[in-house]
Amino acid sequence: MKLTKDILRKLIQAVAMTVPEEIGCDECFDKLSEFAEVKLAGKSPEKAMPIVADHLRKCGECREEYEALLAALKDLKPRLN
Amino acid sequence: MLHWFKRRIQKAKSYRSNDEWIRQLSAPPDEEAVAELRRILVRGLRPPLSRYVDRDLDSFVEDVTQDALLRILEKLDTFKGESAFVSWALKVAVRVGFTELRRKKWKDLSLDDLDGMSDDQEPGNKSHSDNIVTSFTAPDQQAHESMIMTKVMEIMEKELSEKQKMVIHALMIKGIPMTVLADQMKTSRNTIYKTVHDARVKLKKKMAEAGMDPDEILREL
Repeated sequence: MKLTKDILRKLIQAVAMTVPEEIGCDECFDKLSEFAEVKLAGKSPEKAMPIVADHLRKCGECREEYEALLAALKDLKPRLN
Repeated sequence: MLHWFKRRIQKAKSYRSNDEWIRQLSAPPDEEAVAELRRILVRGLRPPLSRYVDRDLDSFVEDVTQDALLRILEKLDTFKGESAFVSWALKVAVRVGFTELRRKKWKDLSLDDLDGMSDDQEPGNKSHSDNIVTSFTAPDQQAHESMIMTKVMEIMEKELSEKQKMVIHALMIKGIPMTVLADQMKTSRNTIYKTVHDARVKLKKKMAEAGMDPDEILREL
């Protein structure tokens, strides 16, 4: 395994952010639509659901899907209301 | 005028409640409800997917929507009503779409590419410092970085399982998405995340025992 400074930084950042109790991608997925709706309502899902926010900070794939869901809902909202 | 009024009524009918969606999509599903959900998914998926797909966006969105509809109908009983049904359905569709995007991008990856990721250092032949790629920095700083890297690698080598090392190598060094790695390892993305989490917890503990503070290291790098 070859380490470069960038990879080391990424690894140490990931270690620094680690807490013993983290939810996985499945639990995050379960809460994702609710989290996005709270965000779209102009409230703070980060405060209401901190463990989901924590997972989204650490998991690039869940974050990518969350951002896509937000974009989709933003686009649909005016048509559904 | 009458047509306009009819369209308004039809439009108003399309605003289903969660219970109505579930009732109408439960087997045997109501064709009109399925058609409307399909329209919503296509409209919702297009903007986010257009950022990642340059060619044949329409056909990609159609394929994803078709797969997502099947998944949604299969998983209908898992909807707990914690959000609007449409938000939940879009979440499922986004997962289907991004999984497909990631698989397409890494379609040529094979298990052989993952072999040996954890042990590309031959014991006895190389030291940890041989696996460090140094950067163009001042000699003192370079020596300090090199020392940190050697220590981190020693901890990883000693404390992590072969599986944890392989997963970290694949994700952090090769940049393989968890979704794709999970396919190759015949497991789930959730399991991969948990594997990395366990490794991070172990590294944090062992680094602390070795007197290494991650935040301090980050400030120094």
